[in-house]
Amino acid sequence: MNVLITSAASATAQIIAGALDSGHTLRLTDLPENASGDIIANELGHESETDRLVAGIDAVVNIGYQGQSGSNTHLMDYHTRRMYNLLQAASDAGVKRYINISTLKLFQDHEENLVVTEKWRSDPPAEDIELLVAHMAEYVCKEFARDRLIQVVNLRLGWPFVGGSSSGADETAAISHGMIGESAAVALTAQELIQWQDIHVQSPVDHQRFITKTAARLLPELAGRLSS
Amino acid sequence: MKILILGGNGMLGPWAVKAMQDRHDILLTDINDPYPEYGGKFQKLSVDDVDGVVKAAEGMDMIVNLSVLRPHRKVAFDVNTMGNYAMMVAAREHRIKRVITTGPHYQKVGQQYEEWDFDLNPDMPPAPGTRLYAHTKALGQEICRVFSERHGIQVITLLYYNMKHSWNLGGPEAPVVYHEDMVPFSTAWQDCGTAVQAAVEVPEERLASKNEAFFIFPDLPHRKFDNEKTRRVLGWKPRYQVERLWNKDSRNPESNLTEAF
Repeated sequence: MNVLITSAASATAQIIAGALDSGHTLRLTDLPENASGDIIANELGHESETDRLVAGIDAVVNIGYQGQSGSNTHLMDYHTRRMYNLLQAASDAGVKRYINISTLKLFQDHEENLVVTEKWRSDPPAEDIELLVAHMAEYVCKEFARDRLIQVVNLRLGWPFVGGSSSGADETAAISHGMIGESAAVALTAQELIQWQDIHVQSPVDHQRFITKTAARLLPELAGRLSS
Repeated sequence: MKILILGGNGMLGPWAVKAMQDRHDILLTDINDPYPEYGGKFQKLSVDDVDGVVKAAEGMDMIVNLSVLRPHRKVAFDVNTMGNYAMMVAAREHRIKRVITTGPHYQKVGQQYEEWDFDLNPDMPPAPGTRLYAHTKALGQEICRVFSERHGIQVITLLYYNMKHSWNLGGPEAPVVYHEDMVPFSTAWQDCGTAVQAAVEVPEERLASKNEAFFIFPDLPHRKFDNEKTRRVLGWKPRYQVERLWNKDSRNPESNLTEAF
């Protein structure tokens, strides 16, 4: 499968690219100020450059949370206007699937004892620009799915991202690098998805905060590694 | 009341200013110069200039955002989305309690509603779809919602569709056609302006929540859209009913007689 990964210089994109590299043909892109090496510099504008970026692509993996840095207005612009441009170009090009990498932090203000699932409304704080724009990116994606222009998997990942060592005792929403990469990989090919599909993923940890039954059901390759 | 108006020199702005300028202390802003007849305070300001909007909002009691940009992809986001972000940042910074924002009906009830359903009302969950104007305005409205929930800022969203001059019901793009199908959400410009005044002046205790939206149109018989909430809560009374568009009895008889006999 030909897969485009956005914000490719970000840590999240690199984890995912590492997981997808062996099984897929990757096209990496980022804004010119971030792009180097194999990463294609692209502004995600509304001109033909973005059309060329998505030409021949089967699926997009978009980093919708913490893929970019900069001023508040830059982040708002990136996660609204540029997301719209990318989705429009991808839809026009017939890209079948768009995986938006979001975050379970959108529910962080809910008490930990609550059984938060994909059926809960997210609650982004206005004062945290990274979470606000992650929410806005989800909004843009959802409308493209609503208009049935493209099928969107909204993969909300836990936090923090944990590398080799195990998570701390109070990191009840942690997710391992392996789980991040694997969930993106199986989301590329999962079959039983609706047009707009929220999926919550975190690693099984003590006092696990978020329910992952939807991920276990829709991404069966992950099921054995998720909390039952 | 001291009111900052953003994007006040477009189509709606002059009518809103006319309705309010004798009742409130207005600072009008826009990227374009005001109409020559406007004699009040004016500042050249782009609504997407967050720092500039924050500065202009200092000392204000309320912000009214009338800015609109439809066709150009980048500018539409700058104005319709970033403009509301700038307004809400300014309201948060200066503890401004109420903001008024405006937009098209389909930032709330998009094609998926409009082509299927009736009695559409402004309390329906937004479904704008991907049409640029609706989408960018809806994003702006969502920013308002998030700020409102977090900071208790009263947001009033006025939604319009088809605006007409009371003296020319054809509008700027086409000659008037009487007694055929019409947009069942049509409003005279004068009444569009008085709706802004009503939103500015409505007492807080009449608003059910910190985030309220209203469809602005006079009573129309189609039942495609519902304006009951607007009349009940805002107390807005449109002066023009655009009745000649939908009532054949209002035509001029060929004989110029009353046809009563």
